[in-house]
Amino acid sequence: MKVRVDDGLCQGRAMCILACPELFDLSDEDGHASVRQADVPRELEAKIEQAVRGCPEGAIQTY
Amino acid sequence: MEHLLDRDAAQQNPVDFDHHSAGHATNWPATFARIRANSPRAWSEHHGGFWLATRFDDVIRIGQQPEYFSAHKDYDPATGKIGGGISIPPLPGLRGVPNETASPEWDGVRTFINRRFSPKSVEAFRAKAQQFAAALIDEVIEKGEFDIVEDFTNPLPALVTMELFGFPLSEWRAFADPFHKIVYTPRDDPFFAETVRGLDYFNQRVAEEVELRRKDPRDDLLGHLANGTIGGAPLDAETIQNLAFNILAGGVDTTTALTSNTLIHLAQNPEDRERLRNDRALLPFAREEFVRYFSPIHALARNVTEDVEVDGWKFRKGERVLLAYSSANRDPDVFEEPERVILDRFPNKHIGFGAGMHRCVGSFLARIMFEAMLNEVLDRIPDYRIDEDRLVRYPTIGNINGCIHIPATFTPGKKVGAKIA
Repeated sequence: MKVRVDDGLCQGRAMCILACPELFDLSDEDGHASVRQADVPRELEAKIEQAVRGCPEGAIQTY
Repeated sequence: MEHLLDRDAAQQNPVDFDHHSAGHATNWPATFARIRANSPRAWSEHHGGFWLATRFDDVIRIGQQPEYFSAHKDYDPATGKIGGGISIPPLPGLRGVPNETASPEWDGVRTFINRRFSPKSVEAFRAKAQQFAAALIDEVIEKGEFDIVEDFTNPLPALVTMELFGFPLSEWRAFADPFHKIVYTPRDDPFFAETVRGLDYFNQRVAEEVELRRKDPRDDLLGHLANGTIGGAPLDAETIQNLAFNILAGGVDTTTALTSNTLIHLAQNPEDRERLRNDRALLPFAREEFVRYFSPIHALARNVTEDVEVDGWKFRKGERVLLAYSSANRDPDVFEEPERVILDRFPNKHIGFGAGMHRCVGSFLARIMFEAMLNEVLDRIPDYRIDEDRLVRYPTIGNINGCIHIPATFTPGKKVGAKIA
């Protein structure tokens, strides 16, 4: 599983950082999210799925 | 299409909905549940007529299309004429910047302030917020009673906002009171005009402090307003006023409302209070749940810039639409058991901080202030009880769902020697 943040949709709601602090960072500029790495370790897949379901803007995608 | 709306039928059968009415303030969850079930895309004839979006999917989709649904407000100080903006009916006086701007103005202003409110920048205020919370509890802890709003949830965000601006902390009440009162004073109340005038003092103080910082720069928000640039140019006097107004308005009453309602909930639900007291790792999740459940910013408007269709809902240029965040946050299509507080609800894709690009710029600071207040109460006066007979909620919650008085008692304790300044 891989994960990415669509920066056109992300508004910095920060729910992803609650779901999976291991893989997301929030920008010091505007609070928008980015992923530290696209590859999702197996043990974090459930957390990433929560991040996808928890983003109000629908900005997090797995592929 | 499932939600295809017959505009004419909806307008011929309007809902009797006024978010500022006294009836709405006391009955809003049931009102929204009924509207979501029967006519989730409704037309109201109140305040000149507006569309009402109550479903989560509609609110987020409209919020995400600012080119068609603009927050921009036209305000001509010479004539007093107002158009657009985020309030229904329009608020007199200043234009909120960036709340009531559209691109490209919005982009410049948000770039200018975003860094001041980023997660890393506001982290610097965590210790201050905790110190203020401790000092405010010190003021009352030996008495064993306080008014949660007057003595705690109103002063704390005001003090942190003063600190952020770089205003003398002693001035907090003169700034916080008009912003607290303007949101719950009914507009036909003679006191409303007086409250609006109270904002003039804030404008005057901003101008004075900005002038001082032009000569003697300091690294605070007033210094940033005085000496910073947008697109390479210094800010003009009107932008400074509107921006300062917007930041203060956003800072002083919203977190107050959130924390007030949360403390009422915890008093009424001792099992939630005990759980949170004993497991602070739960606090960030509970915090988001309380933002969802209480939705301090009840609803905000957008203005249709050209004819557009959103998932079967046709809008015409010039119409206004109210985005009911409070209703979207209790949409049963999105949230299981939406009318219940579930402290560890997660995922929790609430839109209590707005939908789309106008996301509350102070959301990260709000979270810090909320946690500071909750921690202080749970640590030092965990057995507080509320006098429900003397609890006074806002008579109108169309702007903010908050409280005026929450008298409470608790087992007295000792001061810790915390000072505000």
